[in-house]
Amino acid sequence: MKFPYLKEAVKSLFSKPSTENFPKEVKEAPEGYRGKIAFYPEKCVNCGMCIRVCAPGAITRTIEKVEDGDKITFQFYMGQCTFCQLCQDFCARKAIELTKDYLMIAEDEEDLMVRGTFIKKAPPKPPVPPAKPATTATNSAENKKEEVKSE
Amino acid sequence: MELLKRILYILLYPGLIYCVIGGLILAGIDRKLLARMQKRIGPPILQPFYDFFKLLGKETIVPRNAAKKAFLAAPVIGLISLITVSLFIPVFKFSPFSTYADLIVVIYLLTIPAVALIVGGSASGSPYAGVGISREMVAIISYELPMVVSLLAIAKKVGLALNNGVMTFSLSQIVEYQAQNGPLFTKLSIIPAFIAMLLVIPCKVGSLPFDIAEAEIEICEGPLVEYSGAPLAIFKLNHAIKMLVMTSLFVTLFLSGAGTGILAIDAVIQFILMLVVMFFSITLLKAITARLRVEQTLKFYWTYPTALAILSLILVYFGL
Amino acid sequence: MFEKLIQKGLEKSAWLYHLNTGSCNGCDIELVSVITPRYDAERFGFKIAGSPRHADIIVVSGPITSQSRDRLIRTLAQVPDPKVVVSLGSCPRSCNVFNGSYCVEGPLDKYTPIDVAIAGCPPKPEAIMAGLVRAVEILKEKRRAMK
Repeated sequence: MKFPYLKEAVKSLFSKPSTENFPKEVKEAPEGYRGKIAFYPEKCVNCGMCIRVCAPGAITRTIEKVEDGDKITFQFYMGQCTFCQLCQDFCARKAIELTKDYLMIAEDEEDLMVRGTFIKKAPPKPPVPPAKPATTATNSAENKKEEVKSE
Repeated sequence: MELLKRILYILLYPGLIYCVIGGLILAGIDRKLLARMQKRIGPPILQPFYDFFKLLGKETIVPRNAAKKAFLAAPVIGLISLITVSLFIPVFKFSPFSTYADLIVVIYLLTIPAVALIVGGSASGSPYAGVGISREMVAIISYELPMVVSLLAIAKKVGLALNNGVMTFSLSQIVEYQAQNGPLFTKLSIIPAFIAMLLVIPCKVGSLPFDIAEAEIEICEGPLVEYSGAPLAIFKLNHAIKMLVMTSLFVTLFLSGAGTGILAIDAVIQFILMLVVMFFSITLLKAITARLRVEQTLKFYWTYPTALAILSLILVYFGL
Repeated sequence: MFEKLIQKGLEKSAWLYHLNTGSCNGCDIELVSVITPRYDAERFGFKIAGSPRHADIIVVSGPITSQSRDRLIRTLAQVPDPKVVVSLGSCPRSCNVFNGSYCVEGPLDKYTPIDVAIAGCPPKPEAIMAGLVRAVEILKEKRRAMK
């Protein structure tokens, strides 16, 4: 009979335990950890790329009409996210970031939501009705850059 | 006065309260030491108490196809028999209930908790419990043989000195012999029986390399699978008290002596010796081994410990 | 007095029953790592029990597949009160990437109210431990409500 761990067991009996003192000292997640999503609505341009690349469909967008444009709300449901980081990679304006916050414990579904709202102003009405539909497309693309976004 | 003293013995020192508190503390120290050997901090020493009270506060479910009376009575029968065993085991020279043949009584009563487990498991009507009780029976068959043979060796050894060569089954006489001639484990002929008995303890209390009946990972704790609430609490208590009784019996058989004469100090010394025995036979073995299969357990017990015990018996007959 | 002891016991010793309802094994591995020497949940009294009858906290991982749905319902019915249901990872909460599959019949809150949700895919062991500590508080409240 062989007892390969006899020495190890006796040695560890007299040495310090390797347990981390978790709830008292919370360690920071390692570099590159993909945790809870942070959304910066002031940077977002409402391109919808994140919704398109999200495999589980954790991102939903609601658009409400207000008097000077559209009130757009992005909702990230952490209870459905796979933390694949594709939305951060595909976001052209870096409006989505996966932070190192990993303690996502909720009794209520609402605690797992990350929301951001901004108002996208409607393009100013052109003085003369455009002759061709192609010009309107370029106009709106230009207008996007000038938008004033607010929470 | 005599009656009052007896009731006090039954309820207080070697009886109920000592068994419950001592057993749970012993189990707590076992878990703590095991955790430290695995480089963990481990649960607090009072953890078995917390487990016990928590289980008392839970709902007790009796399965529909269970035999209700046997299902609920089995843990209590096991507890009562274990406390009775504890009354018969002397603490150095203090032996309130010791008579001529208490070793026989102890052997029989120590089987009852295992039988209670079998009865409770078969009453629960679960297939996992069925597997568990068949394994428990194999365990009983395995450890009874070396245990009884090594007890016979001790009985003969003591009988040769004190009883004109006739085997003595009185525990108080065994203690008396050790008080005169020093602890039994120093005798050359008894050393093999000492080792055999040390190997019997883990199977008797159902700890790791031999816990085939209550294999948590394989068969969901076997006979206990349908138990919940208070009956489960009593079964866990039984497990702890079994540990206490077995180590206490071991100390009385091999490491006993005259003692100091004062009961309180004797009791403390006994408990410390029990802790040492528990460390070597249960905790250390639990930390360094994995579970054996059913037939491996049987094979192990019927070879090495039985051979050692028989060797001891032969040596005693040769008068060594 | 007795009630106080039971409350203390519930606080210090909650046994887990791990129920895998078609998980990808990521969460299962993380749950097992909670009882390893590095995290050692046993110092709070957590123990993984083999039978649902012994459990206080049922940890469910995985979207509920059609094969495991009946087993889930039966297992949850076998757990004695007071009990707490913890959803581990994203799957039981919302079926995650398996949402809409022909063989997935989740999410979990169709069948039972979820008391604590631990999000992450998979969650870190620290997060699981924090979630279990929260579950113990709910367990105590449920015991008080039972009285």
